[in-house]
Amino acid sequence: MEKNLKAIIEQVLREMNITPGSGADLAASAVASAIEQANTSVVEDGFIPDVTEVDIKTQYLVEDAENKEAYAELKSYAPCRLAIGKAGARHKTDPSLQFRAAHSAAQDAVFNDVDQDFVDNMGFFTIQTQCENKDVYLTRPDLGRKLSDEAVDVIKEKCKKNPTVQIYVSDGLSSAAVAANVSDLLPGILQGLQSYKIDVGTPFFVKYGRVGAMDQISEITGADVTCVLIGERPGLITAESMSAYIAYKATVGMPEARRTVVSNIHRSGSVPVEAGAHIAEIIKTMLEKKASGTDLKL
Amino acid sequence: MHEEILSVGVDIGTSTTQLVFSRLIIENQATSFTVPRINIVEKIVEYRSEIYYTPLKSPTEIDAEKVKQLVLGEYKKANRSPSEMSTGAVIITGETARKENANEVLSALSDLAGDFVVATAGPDLESVLAARGAGADGYSKERRGVVANLDVGGGTTNIGVYDNGRLIGTSCLDIGGRLIKTENGRITYIFPKIEDLARESGINIKVGDRSERETVSAICKIMADQLAQALALKPRDGRHKGLYTNEGKPLPEDIGIKALTFSGGVADCVYTENSGDWFRYDDVGVILGDEIRRNEAFHKAELLKAAETIRATVVGAGTHTTEISGSTIVYDRSKLPIKNIPILKISQEEEASVSTIISSIKAQLPLYMSEGKPEQVAIAFSGEGRTSFKDIQVLADAVIQGAQEVIDGPFPLLLVIETDIAKALGHSIQVKLQNKKEVICIDGIATIGGDYIDVGEPIGAGSVLPVVVKTLIFNS
Repeated sequence: MEKNLKAIIEQVLREMNITPGSGADLAASAVASAIEQANTSVVEDGFIPDVTEVDIKTQYLVEDAENKEAYAELKSYAPCRLAIGKAGARHKTDPSLQFRAAHSAAQDAVFNDVDQDFVDNMGFFTIQTQCENKDVYLTRPDLGRKLSDEAVDVIKEKCKKNPTVQIYVSDGLSSAAVAANVSDLLPGILQGLQSYKIDVGTPFFVKYGRVGAMDQISEITGADVTCVLIGERPGLITAESMSAYIAYKATVGMPEARRTVVSNIHRSGSVPVEAGAHIAEIIKTMLEKKASGTDLKL
Repeated sequence: MHEEILSVGVDIGTSTTQLVFSRLIIENQATSFTVPRINIVEKIVEYRSEIYYTPLKSPTEIDAEKVKQLVLGEYKKANRSPSEMSTGAVIITGETARKENANEVLSALSDLAGDFVVATAGPDLESVLAARGAGADGYSKERRGVVANLDVGGGTTNIGVYDNGRLIGTSCLDIGGRLIKTENGRITYIFPKIEDLARESGINIKVGDRSERETVSAICKIMADQLAQALALKPRDGRHKGLYTNEGKPLPEDIGIKALTFSGGVADCVYTENSGDWFRYDDVGVILGDEIRRNEAFHKAELLKAAETIRATVVGAGTHTTEISGSTIVYDRSKLPIKNIPILKISQEEEASVSTIISSIKAQLPLYMSEGKPEQVAIAFSGEGRTSFKDIQVLADAVIQGAQEVIDGPFPLLLVIETDIAKALGHSIQVKLQNKKEVICIDGIATIGGDYIDVGEPIGAGSVLPVVVKTLIFNS
């Protein structure tokens, strides 16, 4: 019986053009080389690619696309998480890592403080709202709109009185936005105002600040126009977006509609330096028309 | 924001003169919470004139007075006045541009056609306008392929080629329907190049002969074949090179044309089969159209329906010449509009360093002087990658140093940039020059050396300027 079986196998192998024994040898050598590979680990001088370096506008991951070119072109207009493909019912590894990286960046932007060295290097003095720490800031928006008593005194002491324009910087909900944009945005505004020969007060930095704090600052400095450059609540596209809120003779308790806003200032949105030049012109118009927000038609 | 501006287009061609009025709709496409992004969002041709034969005084002179009357008459019919026109173009095209008094006619008309109207001619621009009027640019984008438009007119055939919405080539040949004219059954005129072409091809045709369909078909067959060669739809023969207008260059042989549109007076005879009197326009246009339609080389590319045929160039002139620059720019209202300003281009390589920016401007400025005196010039560069505040300061210093001669001169400092940095750069230059020099600094406009630019009066509540870039040397 056994002999019979062996003969059959030999016959099959012969028909498959394999001499007996060689199949087994092949399998054995494959196993051996796999073991050898596993035992010799290799250290490489390299990096795993940084998922945040991927340009989402050009990444196209759909397999067997009907019209890849058309979809890729649509994608090039905005950094949306489209055409990222799928693995079964789930996201692919790369897009899901990107998503988590973006989410982490957003969280970092909110929870981290602006680097004090950066603030000092910009030549700003720092004051604080009535929030003692980040937790209070995030849970008590009302306190983020009020300056501490000490802050009021510092402004009174250090700032030019009754300037035409008072500009200051605040962390808001993104410390990353301050670090990324202020060094281009603020000089852009100042140079624009200089070209229009408009006088500017002393700039400074407000820690734990909400937009509404500008009203109190306007009252203290007596500025005609007050402008705050403040970090926007981060999204998953960028954590570096900044807004400028600008108001003519802002007062505590005034309607929100009196603020003019220029938002989406970051390197892939409105380029900071050009946004600064634009803000300078808005301020100029505001001074001419003596109005801001919905009262001012730009 | 929603604003409409009126644009006029006048085309004085070899055989016909036409006019269109269009409305250009301008809107801010950004939300009111961000820096505005103002664009032309729609172009509507609201009035098309009759098609007139171009009035000539003699074979070498346009009847300027009659052209003027004709344009005035159309203004009246459309109930429009020149002062309403914000922008537009008057162009002299085809063989007419070679007439002795072409420039005189243009200047007479440009005053008549509104305050800010381009007056220009040139085969490359004409090719572009006709192709856009015919819709070849749109087709190429829709189909993501190479689409050519052939504007077969009286004196010339202008070819404009688009790939995925982008212009990739223009070309112009001395082939057209009125290069042979007939009257009362006799041939009355043959353009010299066509006479040579006929002789070299062994076709016996001369002025005074009876206009026989067979003989004319034979020469038109060759003309049609030369057009197919121009598109590289078949190999080029020895005679081909000599047929380009003003010794212009042919399209590259590997251009890969996939589809075609036809415009110009002959186009309708290409699209539809003809019957009746073959010489009904006293020329060979009908027969030329027929020969193009029959030529097998053209069948290699798909024939698409043109949006405009005989009116393609004038519609192109009326709707596709104007761009918008803004809304973050710097300008001096008192210095606008300005017209026909040559572009001094700083090349991409020269832009790489401050010293080469300075030397490039300094080296090129003398080229734009006439008899040692300065003329208005537009300094153009891309500005790519120079978007930090520091970069802008460095760039401003470089421009000031390079263009010192312009700053000392009587004309405003005019800068044309591709990247969106014009307002910041303009401010920087103004501060550095202590507001002592008029500065016009616009962006979002791509140019190449040799272009000319017109900058109009502000529109859109003063936030944007209409700009016309005239590319005259695309293919030479």
